[in-house]
Amino acid sequence: MSALSKVTYFCRSAAVGLKHSPFVHFIAVTTIAIALFSAGMARGAARVLDNLLASLGGEVEVTVYLAPELDADEVHGVRARVLALSGGEVTLVSPDAALSRLRTELGDLGEALAELPENPLPVSLELRVPPERRNPDALLALAKALRAAPGVAGVDYGEAAVQRLSAIARALRFGSLVAFAVVLGATVVIVAATLQLAIYSRRGEIEIQKLVGATDRFVKAPFLLEGLLQGVLGAAVALFGLWAFGRVLGPTLGTLFAFLLGPGVAAPWVEPRLALELLCAGCGLGLGGSFVAVGRFLRV
Amino acid sequence: MIQFFHVYKAYPGDPPVLSDINLNVEKGEFVFLTGPSGAGKTTLLKLIFCAEKATKGQILVGGRNIARIRESAVPYLRRNIGVVFQDFKLLPHRTVEDNVSFTLDVLGVPRAEAREKVRRMLKLVGLEHKAGSFPLRLSGGEQQRVVIARALVNDPTILLADEPTGNLDPALTVEIMDLLTQVNVRGTTVMVATHDATLLSRYQKRTVRLERGQIVSDEDGVKAARRMVV
Repeated sequence: MSALSKVTYFCRSAAVGLKHSPFVHFIAVTTIAIALFSAGMARGAARVLDNLLASLGGEVEVTVYLAPELDADEVHGVRARVLALSGGEVTLVSPDAALSRLRTELGDLGEALAELPENPLPVSLELRVPPERRNPDALLALAKALRAAPGVAGVDYGEAAVQRLSAIARALRFGSLVAFAVVLGATVVIVAATLQLAIYSRRGEIEIQKLVGATDRFVKAPFLLEGLLQGVLGAAVALFGLWAFGRVLGPTLGTLFAFLLGPGVAAPWVEPRLALELLCAGCGLGLGGSFVAVGRFLRV
Repeated sequence: MIQFFHVYKAYPGDPPVLSDINLNVEKGEFVFLTGPSGAGKTTLLKLIFCAEKATKGQILVGGRNIARIRESAVPYLRRNIGVVFQDFKLLPHRTVEDNVSFTLDVLGVPRAEAREKVRRMLKLVGLEHKAGSFPLRLSGGEQQRVVIARALVNDPTILLADEPTGNLDPALTVEIMDLLTQVNVRGTTVMVATHDATLLSRYQKRTVRLERGQIVSDEDGVKAARRMVV
């Protein structure tokens, strides 16, 4: 008795099964492909969203207002501490420079500033945070650390806007996760239902197999293999779809939305890691569906 | 080889299909199981290859108590029992050769070895020249011979045949029965369920008669044949 003979038989039997009910398997492969294509698109959309957040984070101006009583040495001390905390670039803005900038920004209304008895603006530090900290969570943590530093009177970085954006991103991610879970569940059900049809059409063969002494595992193996093949085929179709989408629409999207979404939108939609993940997910879906179908059928 | 001790089989809400069956079939014996339709012949055979479970009693097959057999052990028991059905149960989209080698596929016999065994078995049943044909292109007798070849290809110790000639004309019936007798001569224990009285008188083998789920007579071939004539 050879294991190789059995494996050969399983492969042959799975191939016969695919040939025997092509339409049923086509439906299962298409369902898996659609689910995985959607997952790939969701992943691409998440990447674009990350780029958007990163670019917005980069544009956020973190301004650190210093306490008015600090002398020049203390200001330099605080600047060094802020530099160490942020890890980015720090520009010192004197009260006069700040007032002058304000006057320019206000235009005609800026004339009114001349009436002020004294310059009310404090010394401030303008921060350009490094790219890895240009996200809402990192900015929040940095602002917290800066506020706690001695000599700092206040920190402003458009916190409310960034947090709102962050909440939207979180909601979108959670929503897409839930939607993806629902799609996966539905896919397993559809694949199981279609495979059950295929199994039903071969019930005569199963009956004879059992009569001549086949174990349940032996009966199940070719169907599980069929499910696995469906998963691989579905993943291949989904990857091809994503690749084609990236090739055909990627450059157009890149041109249209580069100003908003950054250069990431034009990056390839199919990367080796994503391909591997979708392949594994396809195998899981196919195997899961066939496992449910075979289990249900053999119980009858 | 096969022993029944006070075996009962009943389905909920119905009268018992088999009642207090006591039977002993020796190794290498040929036994006819006869009786009218609904007497319990098929159920008795099904109990032997575990397609049904006895409600009460003990059944020993090859010394093993199959009334208490685990579900997972049933396939291994079946590998020692060949079964022939009236309705053939052949796979129409597979060739004669593939149908016969189906049993060997299940056992994981290597392709070359399986092919050789199938060739020998088809020669035994006289269908060597039909190896590449599909079942639906064969006559009823030829199909039944394919089924017998499939049942015997892995050298089982027991062959059970449920109305194997039920769909065949008299000439083909003789052909199939001669084949079963030949198999028995080679040492296989054979049990044939039939309600065809002419078979009993022609072949004169031990005959167990069932009526309403009970054994009403168990006679040797000569006695049974004599009774058929009377």
